[in-house]
Amino acid sequence: MKRLVRTLSLLALLISLAPAQKIGARTPYTTWALGPGWYFFLTQDAYTPLTEIDLSISGPEDFFFTPDGTLYVADTGNGRILRLGRDYAVQASYGEGVLDSPTGLYIDQDGTMYIADAGSDTIVILDRLGNLVSRFGRPSELLFGVDNEFLPRKIAVDARRNLYIVSEGSTNGLVVMNTDGHFIGYFGANPANMSLKMILQRMFLNEEQLAQFIKNEAASPSNVTIDFEAMIFSVTAGTTPENSIRRYTVAGRNVFPMTAGSGSFRDVHVSENGLVTAVDADGEIFEYDLLGMPLFLFGAKDQGDQRLGALRNPTAVERYQNRIYVLDKDKNAIVIYQSTHFADLVHDGVRLYMKGYYLEARPYFEEVLRYNGSFIMAYKAIADAYFKAGDYQNALVNYRYAEDRHGYSEAYWELRNAVLQRDLAGGILALAGLFVIQGLWKRFDRRHGWTNPLKTWFVGLSRRKWVDDLLFLFSFIKHPTDGYYYIKKKQRGSLGFALLIYLWVVIVRVSSLYLTGFIFNRYANFSQIRAENEIAYILLFLFLWNVANYLVSTISDGEGRVRDVVIGTAYSLFPYALFALPLVLLSNLLSMNEKLLFTFSFNVIWAWTGLMFFLMVKEIHNYSFGETVRNVFMTIFTIAIMLLTGYILYVLFFQLFDFIGALFREVQLRG
Amino acid sequence: MKKSIALLLVFLHLFLAMPAAAVTNSRPREIPEPYDLVAENTDFQLYVNPESLAFKLLDKRNGYIWSSSLDEKMEGDRLNRTWTAFASSGFSIDYLDTQANTQRLSITNSEHTMEIRTIENGIQAQVTFTEVAISVGLRLQLEQEGVRVEVPFDTLRQDGKFRLEMLYLYPWMGATRGGQTPGYMFLPDGSGSLIEFAEETKAENMFFGRYYGADLGMLETLPFSYTTRRPYQISMPVLGMVHGEVQNAYLAVIEKGASYAEIQAHPSGVITNFNFLYNAFLYNESYFQRTNRAGDGVTVIQSETNHFDILLHYRFLEGEQADYVGMARSYQAYLVGKGMLSRQEPAGAEAIGIRLEFLGAEQEKIFFWRRTIPMTTIAQMKAVLDALQVSNPQVIFYGWQPGGASSMPPDRIKLDRGLGNLTELEALIAEIAARGGTFNLYYDPLAAFRNDPASYSRHDLAMAITNAYIRSYQRGQPTYLFNPATIGQHLATFSQSVQGRLNAGLALDEIGSMLYADFRRGRQLNREQTISIYQSLLAQSGTPLGMYAPNDYLFAYTSAYYDIPLSDSGYTYTNASVPFLQIVLSGHIPYYGEALNFSANVETDLLKHAEYGMYPSFFVTYEGTARILNTDSNWIYVSSYQQLGGEINAGYAWLDALLGHVRGASIVAHARVADDVFATTYENGWQIIVNYRDTPVSVQGVTIPGRDAISRGALP
Repeated sequence: MKRLVRTLSLLALLISLAPAQKIGARTPYTTWALGPGWYFFLTQDAYTPLTEIDLSISGPEDFFFTPDGTLYVADTGNGRILRLGRDYAVQASYGEGVLDSPTGLYIDQDGTMYIADAGSDTIVILDRLGNLVSRFGRPSELLFGVDNEFLPRKIAVDARRNLYIVSEGSTNGLVVMNTDGHFIGYFGANPANMSLKMILQRMFLNEEQLAQFIKNEAASPSNVTIDFEAMIFSVTAGTTPENSIRRYTVAGRNVFPMTAGSGSFRDVHVSENGLVTAVDADGEIFEYDLLGMPLFLFGAKDQGDQRLGALRNPTAVERYQNRIYVLDKDKNAIVIYQSTHFADLVHDGVRLYMKGYYLEARPYFEEVLRYNGSFIMAYKAIADAYFKAGDYQNALVNYRYAEDRHGYSEAYWELRNAVLQRDLAGGILALAGLFVIQGLWKRFDRRHGWTNPLKTWFVGLSRRKWVDDLLFLFSFIKHPTDGYYYIKKKQRGSLGFALLIYLWVVIVRVSSLYLTGFIFNRYANFSQIRAENEIAYILLFLFLWNVANYLVSTISDGEGRVRDVVIGTAYSLFPYALFALPLVLLSNLLSMNEKLLFTFSFNVIWAWTGLMFFLMVKEIHNYSFGETVRNVFMTIFTIAIMLLTGYILYVLFFQLFDFIGALFREVQLRG
Repeated sequence: MKKSIALLLVFLHLFLAMPAAAVTNSRPREIPEPYDLVAENTDFQLYVNPESLAFKLLDKRNGYIWSSSLDEKMEGDRLNRTWTAFASSGFSIDYLDTQANTQRLSITNSEHTMEIRTIENGIQAQVTFTEVAISVGLRLQLEQEGVRVEVPFDTLRQDGKFRLEMLYLYPWMGATRGGQTPGYMFLPDGSGSLIEFAEETKAENMFFGRYYGADLGMLETLPFSYTTRRPYQISMPVLGMVHGEVQNAYLAVIEKGASYAEIQAHPSGVITNFNFLYNAFLYNESYFQRTNRAGDGVTVIQSETNHFDILLHYRFLEGEQADYVGMARSYQAYLVGKGMLSRQEPAGAEAIGIRLEFLGAEQEKIFFWRRTIPMTTIAQMKAVLDALQVSNPQVIFYGWQPGGASSMPPDRIKLDRGLGNLTELEALIAEIAARGGTFNLYYDPLAAFRNDPASYSRHDLAMAITNAYIRSYQRGQPTYLFNPATIGQHLATFSQSVQGRLNAGLALDEIGSMLYADFRRGRQLNREQTISIYQSLLAQSGTPLGMYAPNDYLFAYTSAYYDIPLSDSGYTYTNASVPFLQIVLSGHIPYYGEALNFSANVETDLLKHAEYGMYPSFFVTYEGTARILNTDSNWIYVSSYQQLGGEINAGYAWLDALLGHVRGASIVAHARVADDVFATTYENGWQIIVNYRDTPVSVQGVTIPGRDAISRGALP
């Protein structure tokens, strides 16, 4: 019996055509999902490789799934289109003798095949049975452009039979034509990017020199697809990875946000349930929702060891039901990935979330968190669900995890509103009461002198040096010019206290990083803050300013001594020293609606501090207005030079040490 | 008188020659002329060709003849001259010239001298390749299970300016043409992998794998890739072939020299028309020596030849034993016979085990210092264990040291202050023992964290041949590796400290799987020597040792095997994955799978556990994983007890109902009984049938529900 079973099993093994998915086989790639801080974190596999279908094709560049599951493959090397059935067996072959090297393929609901033939640079239209319907090349309309070439590589067709064609090297975007071969227009041009380097080049170089450089042209799109809402998607290789995927409105405006991407995307596909899948030249597969939020990132390049799921040269990607299909040109095969239970949960949740059914989506996302506690999109969706249900406290907590400042602000506003509504009346009454009491107190005090001993004690205290210095700081608010004069005359202010002010400024700066309210804080979690860097920057700036200013002033008849400059600068920082911390603490009570209040107040502080610096230079060194301006510019310039010198010295010394080290090591080895 | 003496001598000779003649007369026709019978025992006859050192083995049990090499080329074989010589010689060598270029020489196509003499049960040969002045000695003998091949190191000579690079032993052993013979090749990839004999293959290159992983002593480091996951390391130096399932098979086991050996497998269609696989042994390598920081350097050949003896056994199986299950049991018997594997009686409650690895503490950077975050204190661990409905928990405490998992552990047992004290721990250990489980402290004696350099000195580290310290990665931490002497010191001190204070075992990581040569000046150790050092080190340990995916040389000291592969590495040209490793260990060492936290399809993976007899594993923490997202342990992306508790209980209960019957029993049969339905039979007669399909299936008189498994007792 056992023997029979064994022979049967062996027979069964022999019959298998394609490599079967070995249950639990180690996937050759890792899978990443978006986590806090917008970093990618490791996660469970979203897709596992199912199988690899070898086809007798050569260098295929595109394929297409019709809604009923029929697969059409553009067999570029053999100049034909193959139709495969559900079992991937070849059912029919079209276009032999008519096609040269088809690289782009689109099938509409009638079964009509639209093909971009790179070999003959034409668009070929075949009917359902493969008969030639029409064929046309470069449009003759003047609007197309006299010098523009027509090199069709990829094609997509909308419901009104407009053909959107990717023409290689076209800087004007997609070429739109109709089925008669008439040119309708260009669509969706990519912007050309300027960089500072280019701006400087244009300023300083002449025509001849500029002609030597490669023209700064917009990158041309690499592939195009149409989604279920008839919106055009394109991917552009060779552009910034964050902007590579674009989604165009009818007017040709890109509404796909900046998101994690790749600079070498080959193809993109949008499925009916709103999932965007893209594959790049390194074999990485990116999956997004329709709003551009990255869901999963996985994939590996085949280094030659031929593990199932690794890609060598992917040219096209399609998604059908819950599988991803990737066409690999070098393998002449289709690699198929199956979604896992984990990915299914995410997709179901995303689908409901996209349609606005936040409450229905929540259980899916809660289960997703059981798989992966750092899946940030889950927190956002759960927070939105709580918000919709009116549970603002829970919404707040989840928005915080999701690092969603807008959501957090909204939830916070609601909670604050509730508190205000409850307590505002009482608060105002209490404030009014305090006011009355204060007035009464003043009157009584004047008559009876209750606080006189306190006042005498205070006067005695203020005779102490450091208390006097502190009070001197406050006098700057109203009489800054006088303050500088007193510093010069050594009447008030001391060096020790100045250093104390510097220390205080550093403390305020560092603690503001930690204490600023989440809504206004650049950092979502404390471990991202590099406190030692901040301290170094401030101290370095203050030190350099003092040194540079003194040096510049000495050679331009400034009257200030080192002591004056140091103390003067310290006291000029008073707006920041006095008001920054309270403002930072206040930010915890503000919502996004009061953002202007916060940013404006901070800008006032910076401006005030800048004004004080200016005043300090003028008064301490006794300059006229023009001389002060000149001095300030020179100081800034000097600081820049000092930094540059420091950098150069650092590089040189590093090279020196490296050289000595290498010399030593080589002697050791060869000796 | 002279005439009669002469006649007598002639008669005597005839008389004596007759038995020889009798033997020659009974030589089977399939064995061609050059082969001489050199040895015979109850099961086998060994014939050797003294010109090429090829041998043929006649299995007397069923008359099958195994050929070690090719006799005659045929039409369609796709063998050029070099390959023909490679196929027909007993062994071939690759040698390096002074420019580090490689050339191949086989016995039959190169000038050589051969001294061959008969020894007990076999022959001893010394082959000198005269062109390159390299000499290799080979000893081929018949033994009870089959054939043994030895190449002692002291028989090797490299007298010229050429260096011996690789030695290929009997590469054509059992080779078959295309799909003519039904059967398959066995690769020790992951849990075990099969390549069936076929006319064509998807493979474009040969399969190759270094036993026990790459040698970081030569490579210095393995590049770290975020996107790619490496294939499983090969932990058993075995390979095999089946010629007709349940007809004939052989298993090749390397007893000595495995650490410098590679398996190379060619399915038919990769270069030639043959399916063949073999062991290749590495004696000298060229490597890139950097001379400056920019990366310039020279390619040099290693100065000392790798010093190791080769001892290779071919074990021949027939009948019922001739399939991967039989091969696994043969290997198991081999290990037991050598004392490398012993039966452990299952202890504890009458239930399966479960591995629960708790993360104690971790550190994150806040302001200027690092703050320790306690994730599971002793009290919390107790609470979790009480709440979980599992017996025999194999509890591993990871990150117990002061500073948590990212700090180097001290030499004495000392808990991080935020986790509790040793008295609490003692009480917890007693409780765990009462439930039938064991408590283990996670300890990695090899890793020297690069981020914590104050805890060790540079003299403790292992050095690569390029004069740089060996670099590696372990659980999210970049590390250096300690040299064997330091490893010994640390482990001895630590395990003594643990023994003296707690009744706990150790869960040792990396020492079982990482094997590297150390090139520190004056204290060089090669991989073979390191194996002996590790073995003697662990033999002295008094505490039970659990190990993460250890190689076979440490099986004798392993009380529990963690992170056993669930399947193979997914090569497209292999046809099936088989539970070879699981069968070898079944009934002897309990084996636990990789943590199910990281599984995308927990249900499917649990079915695999049931099929292979594996116990489940989980990472657990008391606090939520959001707390460790900014630490180096953020690869544990889900672990909190609140989230996983239900899953752990459900999974354990389901698996216990099935595997509870077969505790401590070894697997005797495993087969695919229908599409996606597998049956595993144990020595006590119990059978577990697993159905991976979505729909129920009826097999051998029982119905198994979809995505489920059943167990049934001894069959009539």
